Amino acid sequence: MMAVVALGWLGVAAPAAAQQPGVHYLHQGVMPPGAIGGRQLQRGGPLPGYFQPVEIKAPQGALVSLAVAGDFDRPKAAARRAGFLIGQVYRMRVTNIHLHAGLEVFPTIEVIDRLYPPRGQETRFAIPVELTHEDLELALQGKFVTRVIYLEDPRRALPVAENPQQQEWFEVGPGNDPLAAADALGRPVAILRMGARLPDAEGPDMQFLFGCPPFVEYPPRREPPAAPAPTEAPPAAAPAAPGPGPGGAVPVPPEASQP
Amino acid sequence: MTKARENGSSGCRCTTAFQGRRNARSATALEGRRTRSAALRTQNRKNQKNAIADERRARAWRLLIVGLGVLILCSCQGPAQQFCPPGVYPPGADTPNAAAYPSPYPSPYPQLPESAYTGVPPVPPQPQPMVGPPGMEQGVPLAYEPTGPWTPPGIAGPWPQDEYLRDGGDRELPARVSRDWEVFGLDLEDTVAHYDTLDGRTVVEPSNRVHIYAPRFAAVRKVSSVRAGEQVGRAGGFHLATTLLGPTETLPVGVGTQNYQPVGGIAARPPVIFRSRQGDGVVSEALGAVGFHDGLLPFENLAVIRMGTFDEAEMPQLARGINAALAWSHDKAVQVVLDRKAAMAATADQTSPSIYTIGAPPGDPKLRVIKVASTPFAEPGDEVALTIRFDNLGNQVIGNVTIIDNLSPRLEYVADSAQCSLDAQFLTQPNEGDSLVIRCEVADPLEPGQGGVIRFRCRVR
Repeated sequence: MMAVVALGWLGVAAPAAAQQPGVHYLHQGVMPPGAIGGRQLQRGGPLPGYFQPVEIKAPQGALVSLAVAGDFDRPKAAARRAGFLIGQVYRMRVTNIHLHAGLEVFPTIEVIDRLYPPRGQETRFAIPVELTHEDLELALQGKFVTRVIYLEDPRRALPVAENPQQQEWFEVGPGNDPLAAADALGRPVAILRMGARLPDAEGPDMQFLFGCPPFVEYPPRREPPAAPAPTEAPPAAAPAAPGPGPGGAVPVPPEASQP
Repeated sequence: MTKARENGSSGCRCTTAFQGRRNARSATALEGRRTRSAALRTQNRKNQKNAIADERRARAWRLLIVGLGVLILCSCQGPAQQFCPPGVYPPGADTPNAAAYPSPYPSPYPQLPESAYTGVPPVPPQPQPMVGPPGMEQGVPLAYEPTGPWTPPGIAGPWPQDEYLRDGGDRELPARVSRDWEVFGLDLEDTVAHYDTLDGRTVVEPSNRVHIYAPRFAAVRKVSSVRAGEQVGRAGGFHLATTLLGPTETLPVGVGTQNYQPVGGIAARPPVIFRSRQGDGVVSEALGAVGFHDGLLPFENLAVIRMGTFDEAEMPQLARGINAALAWSHDKAVQVVLDRKAAMAATADQTSPSIYTIGAPPGDPKLRVIKVASTPFAEPGDEVALTIRFDNLGNQVIGNVTIIDNLSPRLEYVADSAQCSLDAQFLTQPNEGDSLVIRCEVADPLEPGQGGVIRFRCRVR
């Protein structure tokens, strides 16, 4: 009797449960900069103190400056690589934007997770953060652009070749959380925000620069020389283990043939 | 006067009577006094005897306590040490042994190494008697030390698998081949080989799995804007709903019933079964629980006991519990003995998909498939060469050897890059990950000990 009642309750409750959202996200993309990374640090793991290499890409000709000691350092041409602490917010200044000379954009980068590359390959596999020309123009128009960079799940990745000039990205509409969308597609590792913020006329203060957290400067990437592909035929395989074989004709059964 | 005489005479009589009464009272009092004195003396003698007995008992207790104390102190002493002067050894000791017979005098053999020549013939080591329960004369099985699955060097698990491309093995559903050589259960990233045996069977052998560090990133963008001056319009009106004019009838509550609050709950616990299996059928046990007095104890709070599902993360704790069971007494332990040999939990850093032993019975075909990659890490756009080595390790010829590699969606096959050291035919067909399934059909049967190499290249997407 109890089993019948339980089955009946499950039958009634199953459609209602299916209508509930499957995941309750603790973080939202609209949270202020630093909040998500700070909570990530509270969850433990080998995150504190690790400088995650990040490669900042920008359109051709754009200059990127990082906040150092209350001001921005010398502008450098993109792509620029640096190691950022997880949970900290790094303010940048992008200048010399194509078709918008004299205008500046002040994006922020927040690294919320790290990678675990092989030893010695940390800087080679940096998190790419792209400042596209379209995003910069939107920011100059007063829009607020949030770009969540995530690590793709290899088994659910798009079966298309990656364009080295532009990162694959998706647009989420109003009312949707970009962090939740990125979490559904992979593992979010960094958040880029730009637009709707300008420093004071007297200059950027420490609140605007998020305290100028420390970072590690890495030299720009050097393209490795293209290695010639091996085309020679593999050598004939040696016998795996010595042993007397049956010899003579191969007694393969007649029904065992190639399909 | 008469009265006086009468009184006197009468007085004499009275005196005599009084004297008699007095004598009688005196006798009675004396008798009572004598009786009391005798009782007192008896009581005194009893008291004296009791005091003597108490004193004797107290003395006996004191002696008993002192004796027990001496016995305890003597039992706390270590084994009796026999002190011998230099050069004099106790009976039965024909060699100097400073460890067994410490001497207060300076030893003539002060801390010499074992290899030093002292003129005294060395004592051959005495063989240690075999200890252990039947079936474990060679020793008790070592503690189980699982190392878990493969992890990148320098990173303790769990490691993020989403940063690695994997290819090889047979994950999820096992691959099977029908009679018309149609392959089922071939998942993405699988690499298997199947062949036909002389007795008409079709055997499937998976390869090992290779890991290539190749993370790829994408982004999700959202653009929002601030609309200045926008104002939310006010509500222009509202519907006037029809309201009730009044209740037509009101029925007051006449009788109230107060239900008793439940004071306890009765729930039936489902039968719990404990199942455990380790290795390839080496250890298998099923214990039906007869009942529990309380919830799960800390040492049994495992997923395999709670829900019946085996969790690899609990493998060390589970193995420790099994070894603890082996350490129990013989009649209470969970004993698994195969051919009078105790079952042992084996572990290794790396596992192979198949284990072959020498001395296989006749007609036992085996095919070993090994897969390697040219680089442990690659970036999108890089080419990775994958090499598959297959060998016939059995003792009979096998035919229709076919190697199938279902590529990951992140790997793109480089056209016309497949090669084989044997005469083989390569076929490709798209898979569900918009990549390719590479199929290599070896033309000739493989003799025992014969093998081949397949090589092809893929581009990391």
